[in-house]
Amino acid sequence: MARRGSPARLVIAVSIAAVLAVFLLYTSIAGGGTPSLSPSELAGRTGDVSLAGLVVGPVKGDAHAGGLRFKLRDIEGAKKTTVAVRYTGSVPDLFRVGRHVVVDGQLLAGVFVATPGTMVTKCPSKYSALQPPK
Amino acid sequence: MAELGRAALLVTLGLAAYALLVGAYAASTHRRRLAESARNALVASFFSTLVAAVVLAAAFVRDDFSLRYVTERSSKALPTPYKLSAFWGGQEGSLLLWLLVLTGYAALAVWLNRRRAADLVLWVTPVLGGITVAFAWLVTGVASPFATHAAPPDGLGLTPSLQNPYMATHPPALYLGYVGLAVPWAFAMGALLAGRTDERWIVATRRWTLVAWASLGIGQLLGAHWAYLEVGWGGYFAWDPVENAALMPWLAATAFLHSVMIQEKRGMLKVWNVVLVSLAFCLSIFGTFLTRSGIVNSIHSFTQSSIGPWFLAFIIVAVAVSVALIAWRLPLLRSRTKLESLVSREAAFMYNNLLLVALCLTVLWGVAWPILSEAVRGEAVVVGRPYYDFFLRVFGLPLLLLMGIGPLVAWRRASLRGLLRTFLGPSVFALMVGAVLLALGAGSSIPGLIAYTFSAFVIGAIAIEFWRGTTARRALSSESWPAAFASLIGRNRRRYGGYVVHFAIVLLAIGIAGSSAYDSVVEGRLAKGESLEVSGYTLTYARLVEREASNATEVRAKVLVNRGGADLGTLEAGKNAYSVEQQVSNEIGLRTDYLRAEDLFVIAEQVNDDGSVYFRVFVKPLVNLIWLAGLVFLGGSLIALWPDAREQRRLATRFAEAATPAGSAPPP
Repeated sequence: MARRGSPARLVIAVSIAAVLAVFLLYTSIAGGGTPSLSPSELAGRTGDVSLAGLVVGPVKGDAHAGGLRFKLRDIEGAKKTTVAVRYTGSVPDLFRVGRHVVVDGQLLAGVFVATPGTMVTKCPSKYSALQPPK
Repeated sequence: MAELGRAALLVTLGLAAYALLVGAYAASTHRRRLAESARNALVASFFSTLVAAVVLAAAFVRDDFSLRYVTERSSKALPTPYKLSAFWGGQEGSLLLWLLVLTGYAALAVWLNRRRAADLVLWVTPVLGGITVAFAWLVTGVASPFATHAAPPDGLGLTPSLQNPYMATHPPALYLGYVGLAVPWAFAMGALLAGRTDERWIVATRRWTLVAWASLGIGQLLGAHWAYLEVGWGGYFAWDPVENAALMPWLAATAFLHSVMIQEKRGMLKVWNVVLVSLAFCLSIFGTFLTRSGIVNSIHSFTQSSIGPWFLAFIIVAVAVSVALIAWRLPLLRSRTKLESLVSREAAFMYNNLLLVALCLTVLWGVAWPILSEAVRGEAVVVGRPYYDFFLRVFGLPLLLLMGIGPLVAWRRASLRGLLRTFLGPSVFALMVGAVLLALGAGSSIPGLIAYTFSAFVIGAIAIEFWRGTTARRALSSESWPAAFASLIGRNRRRYGGYVVHFAIVLLAIGIAGSSAYDSVVEGRLAKGESLEVSGYTLTYARLVEREASNATEVRAKVLVNRGGADLGTLEAGKNAYSVEQQVSNEIGLRTDYLRAEDLFVIAEQVNDDGSVYFRVFVKPLVNLIWLAGLVFLGGSLIALWPDAREQRRLATRFAEAATPAGSAPPP
């Protein structure tokens, strides 16, 4: 074709290469993100993970002094595994027993020690205030 | 009444199916009368959808709790404006609103273009009919807003966080944007189907794209402002999948708005443009899929339901149609001209496009990464804020710089000497601003300093453009300065509206850099009478008050603010406990200092039984420029959108030229 050698193609090829290079650079420097796990998958894991689960009471302690203590279990499935969590930092408004939350942190001696301020709540029905009466 | 709503939606489904099937048949066999009836069916589907929407709105206003949807979202005590906004407080109503906007856009777009682009509308009708069928099916067969049950005495009420003006306006603005992208996509597909691949589909949909893009932008800023004021964690954007879902189509649409100018002016990038418009449309559907399917963890959890798979099917169909049509018509999409130099306006547009698409795709990659890694490695891996911040800097900062370079470079081929002369002023200005900021201590954040220097460069470049244009007009017509300035903008609305939007983006960049790179935060537990200090402010916790509002118990910590010995008044921060909805919400205290251009942002994180309060206090410089940017953005978009008689006449001539195919291939 007559369009061989068009500068547009050169630019596109070079920029794709540049984007790939930037990508490789990023993944080699910053690592590839954190694994997202449920409480039943947590046993034996080391290193930072993102833990998603359902809050099980009782909720004790103070998130700004010594840490908030509660348990998390799997949101889906029949597994009854729970994991104890110690959390410090901001507690979202929607945090409550029975809610779905995501916290980052790592398992230390059987307790999931959360990175301060990482809690995010997921309310399964945020846009409809309560479950409809049946 | 529910029967009327259901029936009206069935009529919409029928009309849309007619527009799709009969429209396609009529277009492929060139039956003009039949095509007109298909087009009219599409227009009529708007009115039947309107009937359904009015029925639902009336049910909310009249507290008709026999509708399950109304029961779950409203209550007698809810103020009437929020009863109306509860219309889109849930999935079924959102879909109905979506359908209403879609049919409204579709009806208007085919009606306005029925004469001047009749050969395109022929094929646009079945495409828009197809999209309408998909959404009409969702609200009739899958998630009907008109499901009934035995009416309870009162409804369950609206989630407290939705009871404010932002949530009444933010979702519809986003829908106007998401759905609006369907129109340029339908015209692109119509043009491919009809084999009319000249630039008329772009010209016919320019304003549609602008409206959709501007609404999407404003919708996101409304959401950000809501998050800042109501959610109360001290930020406004969290790179959450649902936020990204709106950002991605906006980035793709931004790239599209720029690249279409090259096709209009130089006949280049035809394939690229149809790819971009398809990307923007498919991403807007993908955004809905992400939101509604719950496939990735998000702070925003909407009612998740069975419509996920339907959306997935819809995305697959839309992508398949786009790819197949582009591949089929590839021979017709050859460029009239090619890029002559890497230093030219076209090339600048191309760099801008590549950066925007790269940013869009890295965001998409980040959003899809948990799904992909789950599929490949059996374990979902999430990427967080550092990932997005990194790529925002890598691609966003060069984009910012290009915004100053692009408009000043000549079309086709620019000489380096000319460039040096043009850019001398803005460069000197930018370096001076950078040096002053460095002296003031802005070097604490290198990306922030770069962002400010680049912003100064862009402002300098925009100012030069306006200056040159105004002096040229004055030389021509000896008008006064303000008159010359006004007529400059009035005569080139698209160009100067674009510059105003660029200025808005600069304000946004300055606001984001200021509030994220140069903010300060202090937190601590205070007993009554104790105080804490944050960047010059002294905050003293005075007392706790508790009061009953109509639907909530309000607890407020009164905080005395003092700066350098001067008393700046009292702030209130605390929590509301909503009784009916059984929810708590953070109510922040905010003090905006316009002279110092910073916000003092107080969160009462935890109120303890002993009366002490755990506070978190931010000082956020320049954050208000973000909201100001929204107004400037809106103004610039309106200037670019405003109807222009001169432009219309120019277009009419071009349409006439393009419609008589001299060089274009006849349809097979």
